[in-house]
Amino acid sequence: MSVIRRRLRTVAVAALAAGVALGSTACSKSNDDEAGEGGQVKLVLQTFSNFGYDQAIKDFEAANPTIKVEHQRMGELRDFQPKLVQWLAAGSGAGDVVGLEEGVLLQYVQNHDKFTNLLDLGAGELKANFPEWKWNNALTPDGKKLIGLGTDVGGLAMCYRKDLFQQAGLPTDRETVSQRIKTWDDYIALGREYKASGKVKAAWLDSATSLMQPYVMQNSEVFFFGKDNSFIGDTNPVIRKAWDTGLQMAAEGLTAKAQRWSADWDAAFKNNAFATIPCPAWMTEGIIAQRSGPTNAGKWDIATIPGGGGNWGGSYLAIPAQTKHPKEAYLLAKYLTSKEGHLAAFKEAGAMPSSIPGIEDPAFKGKTSEYFSGAPVGQIFGDSVKNMKPVFLGAKHQQVWETIVEPQMQAAERGQLSSAAAWTKAMDEAKKVSAG
Amino acid sequence: MTTTQALPRSVTPPPRARRGRTPGARLWEASPLTYLALILGCVLSVFPIVWSFIIASRDNSAVYDMPPTPGGMLFENIDRMLANEDAAFLYGLVNSAVVSTIVTVSVIFFSSLAGFALAKLRFRGRNGLLLVIVLTMMVPTQLGIIPLYLMMVELEWTGTLQAVIVPFLVQGFGVFMMRQYALAAVSDELIEAARLDGCSTWRIYWNVVLPALRPAAAVLGLLTFMQTWNEFLWPFVVLTPDTPTVQYSLKILSSGLYQTDYTALFAGTALATLPLLVVFLVFGRQIIGGIMEGAVKS
Amino acid sequence: MSSTVGAAPPRRAATPARHRPQPRRSSYRLGRWDLKYSPYLYVAPFFVLFGIFGLFPLLYTVYVSLFDYELLSGTREFAGLENYRVLLADAQFWNAAYNTVGIFVLSTVPQLIVALLLANLLNRQMRGRTLLRMGIVVPNITSVAAVGIIFALIFADRYGLVNWLLGTVGIDPVAWRDNRYASWLAIAFMVDWRWTGYNALIYLGAMQAIPRDLYESASLDGASAWRQFWQITVPLIRPTILFTVIISTIGGFQIFTEPLMYGHGMVRGGAEHEFQTLAMYIYEQTFTGNAEYGYGAAMSWLLFLMIIIFALINFALVRRSVKGEQK
Repeated sequence: MSVIRRRLRTVAVAALAAGVALGSTACSKSNDDEAGEGGQVKLVLQTFSNFGYDQAIKDFEAANPTIKVEHQRMGELRDFQPKLVQWLAAGSGAGDVVGLEEGVLLQYVQNHDKFTNLLDLGAGELKANFPEWKWNNALTPDGKKLIGLGTDVGGLAMCYRKDLFQQAGLPTDRETVSQRIKTWDDYIALGREYKASGKVKAAWLDSATSLMQPYVMQNSEVFFFGKDNSFIGDTNPVIRKAWDTGLQMAAEGLTAKAQRWSADWDAAFKNNAFATIPCPAWMTEGIIAQRSGPTNAGKWDIATIPGGGGNWGGSYLAIPAQTKHPKEAYLLAKYLTSKEGHLAAFKEAGAMPSSIPGIEDPAFKGKTSEYFSGAPVGQIFGDSVKNMKPVFLGAKHQQVWETIVEPQMQAAERGQLSSAAAWTKAMDEAKKVSAG
Repeated sequence: MTTTQALPRSVTPPPRARRGRTPGARLWEASPLTYLALILGCVLSVFPIVWSFIIASRDNSAVYDMPPTPGGMLFENIDRMLANEDAAFLYGLVNSAVVSTIVTVSVIFFSSLAGFALAKLRFRGRNGLLLVIVLTMMVPTQLGIIPLYLMMVELEWTGTLQAVIVPFLVQGFGVFMMRQYALAAVSDELIEAARLDGCSTWRIYWNVVLPALRPAAAVLGLLTFMQTWNEFLWPFVVLTPDTPTVQYSLKILSSGLYQTDYTALFAGTALATLPLLVVFLVFGRQIIGGIMEGAVKS
Repeated sequence: MSSTVGAAPPRRAATPARHRPQPRRSSYRLGRWDLKYSPYLYVAPFFVLFGIFGLFPLLYTVYVSLFDYELLSGTREFAGLENYRVLLADAQFWNAAYNTVGIFVLSTVPQLIVALLLANLLNRQMRGRTLLRMGIVVPNITSVAAVGIIFALIFADRYGLVNWLLGTVGIDPVAWRDNRYASWLAIAFMVDWRWTGYNALIYLGAMQAIPRDLYESASLDGASAWRQFWQITVPLIRPTILFTVIISTIGGFQIFTEPLMYGHGMVRGGAEHEFQTLAMYIYEQTFTGNAEYGYGAAMSWLLFLMIIIFALINFALVRRSVKGEQK
């Protein structure tokens, strides 16, 4: 056996021994203990995606010298959510303040014992700051327990391609377009006109499913679930109407049949596959501008959503019951969801404020988007949030919509199965999930 | 195996059989067709990775453009990964290097030891133990996660690197693999001769078996290192962003507000791949080096 | 796997070491002890660590599978075998099992055969040996999740590479997700892309241990290269082939990330669950919706059983078709 080989082996064993010893001390950015020096309280804040909290946390710490905040970013929602489920079940691991996406929050409203009642900590005084629907989503049906304070909202508007409108001979300025699509019927009529021009290859709308959420929310006080959380999706006439309308558009060739979040959908922006898409605020810069690219700058514009009000997405901050510092955690959550916190997050990550004072603040309200032909995004999205009526969604709303009804509707749109068959399947599946 | 016995220490083959004029030698020369097939295989293997590097060099709107041609933004995208005040990416690299190295060395050592025992030593319950080891590999990984996490909470290991190291220091896969190699690569005559020479079992392992298993150990090492390096699910569950592994950092740094920053993700992936190339070279030499020696094992 | 011959009989091995002037008796005892117990010592680290970190999760899973246990609400009621009963009547479970087996067969069979041939090609003298060998394991270098995005691009319906290529030769685009078998094929391709080289490398390691003189004498007897491959190489690396078959069975049945990324990160696995695998369904039940941990645990146990059964079947199949040495 060669000397070199023997030496290698010795090195390997030594490395193993050293490594095990090292394991405990390796690279960690902070070595702070639970409680810092001088009675300081350390709070752990866990968020997913990018909430844009770097500056806001600094400001908060400056104003509250006894509190130290450790911000843990947890990757995407779909990575964070199962992790949080485990932490809450294990009774340990969750932060003192955690970010909950709206759909996740709704589930926890029903299973609220894992969270602190913010009303007990004095959150009642903040009610007037938020749109009623945003506040209500985090409230238990009996109105006695509040588990989340709103961070951002999506709002909803109609993003459209001016250049394609022009080619089809439609008006292009946003006031006129907004006037022409005041209702969904108007919107569809304009789409027919667009297609009838025969001058554009691009479809009118990205997908039949796009109009479903805003349409139902504008026209019904309930969605898939009644206020007792029973499934009523199959009997709510508004849902069926939206379903049929969407698929009718698809049948007429008005939709691009692009499945949302798929690679094809992403690529469709750059490939000019459709002329309009209902867009929440976070989608404008984050997705449309990113995917359409610099070559399409100035070709997009933003009009009011048909029906006037709407929202898609948004999150909350909640305080898990396992926290040891509920009071301090509340201070943090309260600050981050105040006008100051909202505006800092808006500045940093483009997160649209969910508080009325935040929306009304010139820093947001006066905001325009260069990419979208200078559209007054602050005004447009702010109005859509204020115009939105409260809708009761229910604990499993997001699960039923995103993982059952939307995929089935898309399958029907692509012609994989008939509308009737897809509807029956979707409803059966949704009932099963709701019962479980 | 019917060949002649060798003395225990002469693991290195006599020069005669290595190459040269023996009639079988031409068998070991590659034909042009062989080259063609292998090059095709390599191109297929490399293509998607090259594509991901290309995406790393583009802007976010060009991710989906066909055909895939490189853009000029590679360094800007890499900058975006590195220019982050927590230096999360660099921490991730260092931590992953520590974790993967320890796990790899340990897996090689314990696997070859146990594999040798299971293949070449006779003891009561041998087959039963082997069966148990194989069965342990069949346990679906995802379900283990929750109870394992509960254990980590009890041990107060959450957020520390032990949590992603210690449970993986032994792997049924490695033991099974080394056992299967040892069956063929270490001849019984060799071991018997060593025993006659008065070697203890440990010395047989260290001086006879381990050298014979070297090519296989290198393969195992390479595979273990890559797998540990790319592991995401468990580190993500048990660690915190303060002590990330490289895949964890990547995930955090590429998440925007409700969407993924693909170009940053791929730029980071490309960066995270570089250390693996070093590992490739280290183990690659061992694997290649082993080939000629391994030829005349018994 | 029937190779048994172990160590020499104790008495012979206990012959005192020539260069060590120790008293005969103690060395004899040491030798006996060594022979008898050191094997246990060598396998002990595995069992100790597994006992600590593997066994508890395993048993805990069994325990949980007997409960109606929802992580989200914290409901936890003893349910006996109810989870298993419901599961056996759950059409989605059987659909997932069907998909899993289908993808497994589509991916593993070609994968192992190609790997074997590749390894045989690689086991030669050639220029750029290192480069070519490393070239085929390169797919293992990046994370599945990252490369999964690339494959989603390759197999996108409208703007994907494959459909674009098909279009240039006048073939209609394939519905890569709506068509169940097309989706299986694409996922199998992803799997094979990643693991063929890996298995080839494992085979190569084993082939290198085959004594060359065996080939030389066969060559003298006039055996063709192909015959040598089937009559020397394959039988001699049979333990390794069995190993990869079992490993692939285990890995194949737990397939998760590839179909997940293929379905744009949704555990639904296609509009009609065309490519939802068992691992995805377990994940869906355990971590989404009500987080029905008990149900997921029961499903994991059934998956565990399925893996055992299929591993045994494959083991027997391969053992029969690949003749080992004459033992």
